[in-house]
Amino acid sequence: MIQDPGATPELIIRRAHVFDPSTGLDGIRDVRLSSGRISEVGEGLRGTRELDAESLHLFPGFVDVHAHWRTPGREDEEDIESGSAAAAAGGFTGVVMMPNTDPIVDRPVVVSGLARRVELESRVRARISAALHVGLAGERLTEMRLLKEAGAFCVSDDGLGTASAGVLRNGMLYARSAGLPVILHCEDHTLATGVVHDGAAASLAGLPGSPASAEDTATATALVLAAETGAKVHITHVSTALSAALVSFFKGRAYVTADTTPHHLTLTDDLISTLDGLYRVNPPLRPDGDRGGVEEALREGILDFVATDHAPHASEEKELPLEEAAPGFLGHETAFAALYTELVLDGRLSLERLVGAMSSAPGRWVGEGGSLAVGTVADLTLVDLSEDWMVDRSALISHSSNSPFLGRTLTGRVVGTIVGGGLVHDRTGARFGVRA
Amino acid sequence: MLTLEDAGRGELREILDLAAAFAEGRVRDALADKTVCLAFFEASTRTAVSFELAARRSGAYVISLSEEGSAIAKGESLVDTVVTLDRLGADAIVLRHPAAGAAALASRHTSAPVINAGDGCGQHPTQALLDLYALSDALGGFDELAGRRIAIVGDILHSRVARSIIPGFARSGMEVSLVAPRTLLPPDAGAWGLPVLSSVDEATEWGADVLYMLRLQKERMTGARIPSVAEYARFYGVARRHLEGGALVMHPGPVNRGVEISGDVVLGASSLIPDQVAAGVCVRSAVLALATGAAQRVAA
Repeated sequence: MIQDPGATPELIIRRAHVFDPSTGLDGIRDVRLSSGRISEVGEGLRGTRELDAESLHLFPGFVDVHAHWRTPGREDEEDIESGSAAAAAGGFTGVVMMPNTDPIVDRPVVVSGLARRVELESRVRARISAALHVGLAGERLTEMRLLKEAGAFCVSDDGLGTASAGVLRNGMLYARSAGLPVILHCEDHTLATGVVHDGAAASLAGLPGSPASAEDTATATALVLAAETGAKVHITHVSTALSAALVSFFKGRAYVTADTTPHHLTLTDDLISTLDGLYRVNPPLRPDGDRGGVEEALREGILDFVATDHAPHASEEKELPLEEAAPGFLGHETAFAALYTELVLDGRLSLERLVGAMSSAPGRWVGEGGSLAVGTVADLTLVDLSEDWMVDRSALISHSSNSPFLGRTLTGRVVGTIVGGGLVHDRTGARFGVRA
Repeated sequence: MLTLEDAGRGELREILDLAAAFAEGRVRDALADKTVCLAFFEASTRTAVSFELAARRSGAYVISLSEEGSAIAKGESLVDTVVTLDRLGADAIVLRHPAAGAAALASRHTSAPVINAGDGCGQHPTQALLDLYALSDALGGFDELAGRRIAIVGDILHSRVARSIIPGFARSGMEVSLVAPRTLLPPDAGAWGLPVLSSVDEATEWGADVLYMLRLQKERMTGARIPSVAEYARFYGVARRHLEGGALVMHPGPVNRGVEISGDVVLGASSLIPDQVAAGVCVRSAVLALATGAAQRVAA
C-alpha cells in the first residue's frame, strides 16, 4: 500500500519549520521530495505540487519499534489497516510488529503471510518481529534464519519474556549468527505474580503487586548475556530507575540499546487508586521515583528512544476489575502529544531530545529514515505544536479505545504523515494545492 | 600420541610416509611380539576395528577391553585399568574415553605409550592423521595441501575431531575456516585466529577446496542449540550445488544423511568418506609402530 517510489509525484513542502536533530536543521525551509526521497532542502523551492506548511513543524518520521497490531488472530482489536492508520495518525512512518499473536509468529509461513498482508494493507513501513522461541514458550529456538528469509526483521520474546537464562543465551548466540537483532521483554515470572506495581498504591488499593525486581533481575540477566554473546540486543519498555541504571552500566560493554514508553514517562501508579481496569499495563505504572529515573535516563540518552507498546484491547477485556483486565494501552496516536505536553512544555525535556528519541534514534536502529538529510527516504511528520485536542473515543482511529489519556487535553497534533513521499495521514485540509 | 596440537610438519610427514609404506605392503610384522591393549571406555566402531586390524595385521597380540564385559563395567577406575594393563606387559595402550584429558591422565600411570583414540571433547589425533592421509592421497601428495582452503563445518563446540584437525590441517599449510552457528562454537572461537563463516554457501564463496563436515548430535542439539534439523541442513549441510566448483567433502562418520551431507553426495565422486575409512588401518599401523619403537627396527 506504500506507493511505489517511481510512481510518487514530486512534492514540495513549503515554509515548514524544519527541525531535525540528526542534521541540526532548525528553521523555516522548503523541502523537495522526489522519487520517494528527500531531494532538496532550501528556500524558495517551487513545483507543481506544493503543500503549504506555514506554522507547522516538519520532523523526520517517527519510528515505533514496539507495536501490537493483533494480526493474525484478534483483528477485532486491531488489524494492519487500522493499526497502520493509527500509527500514521500519530506521526509514525515505521513500526515493528510484535510476534505474540494467534498463531504466534514463530514459523516462516506465518512471517511470509504477514509480510504479504503488510505489503497490501499497511500505510506505513511495518517490520515484522518473529518469536525468539517456538510458541514463546521459552524452550526451543525458532528457525531464525528461515524466518529472516521469509521477511522477519528481528526476533523478540515480547509479552512473555524468557524464563531460562540458558535458552536466552543460546537465543542471542543464534540470533547473532542469523544476523537478527533481539528485542527483549525483561520480566521474571517467579517475581511478577501481581497485577500492578508492588508499592504503596497497591497496598492501599488491596491489589496484588509485582515488585520492581521482577523487571530489574531479568534486565540484569539479559544485559550480562548480551555482553557475553555480542548479540545486538534491545531492551524494550524499561520502566524502573534501577533497570535504566543497569542499561547505563552496560552501554559500552554490550551491543545494547533500550527504550521506554510514553506512559511510563508521564503516568504513575497513583492511577490504580481508581481500580479501573483501563490502567492495567505490563510492566506496570511505577511510582514517581521510577518515572523520574526513566525520564532522566531518556534525557541523558541512556534510554535511546521511545517506543509505545501500542497494545489494543477490546472493551470487554478492559471494562473489568483491575485484577481481571487485560494489560496494555493504546500508544501510537497520543505518543508525541503526551510527551510534548507533559515533558517538553513543562521544561523537562527539550524538543530536540524528544524528536531524537522518536525519529533519529529508532530510525538508526531500524536502519532507515529518522533524518531529513538529502537522499534519505521521504518519511516525514508534520505537527502543529499549537493545537490543543481532547483525546476521546471518537478522535481515535484504532479499532480499540484503551488509551490511558482518554479525557485529557493534549497540546501538539500530528497534521500530516508522509511515507515514501506520499501522504498517508492527512489533516492538512486546504493547505494542499496544485499550482496550475 | 595424545594430541596433535604440538605436532610439526616434519612429524606429520614422517607418520604419513610410514603409513604409505604400510599401505603398499612394504612393512610386515612390524609389531611381532608386541602386546597392544585396546581400552574403549566409550562405544566406537571404525576406530576400534581399524586399530584392532592394524595391530593384528602387524603381528601384535591384542587385548580388547570394552565397556561391556570387562572390569570397566564393574566400575574400575581409569587409572586402575591402565595400571593393570601396564603390569600385564602392554607395549601400547589405545584409549577411548568420554572425558577430555583421559589419555593424558592414563599416560602418567604407565610406562607404555598411550595412544589417544578419542577423549571426550578433547582430541582425536589418529582421526586427523587419517584425514591428512586421505586428503594427501586425493590431491597427489602431502605437499599439495599447502595453500589449499578447508572449511570445517558443524558442531565445533563438542567435537574432539575438530580440536585435532584444526592444528593438523593448519600445520600442513592449509588455510582453515570454521562454519557454525555461534551456539555450536566455543565462546572464544576467535582464539584460533581463524575466520568464522555462517553457512556452507559462504564457505564456497570463501573458496573452500575441501568441506569437512562434522557429525551433528541431532537429538541433543535440536531445540537447544539449533532450531531444527531442517534449518541446520539448509545452512550447514553440503548439497550437490556446493561441489560444482570441484570441492571435496570429508566426514569422520557416522554420517547423518540429509543433515550434514545430502544423500546423493555421501558416496559421490567428490566424497572422500570411504577413503578416510580406508586410511584408518595403515595410519594406525604407522602410529602403533612409531609409538612402540618398532618403526626404528623397520627402518633399520
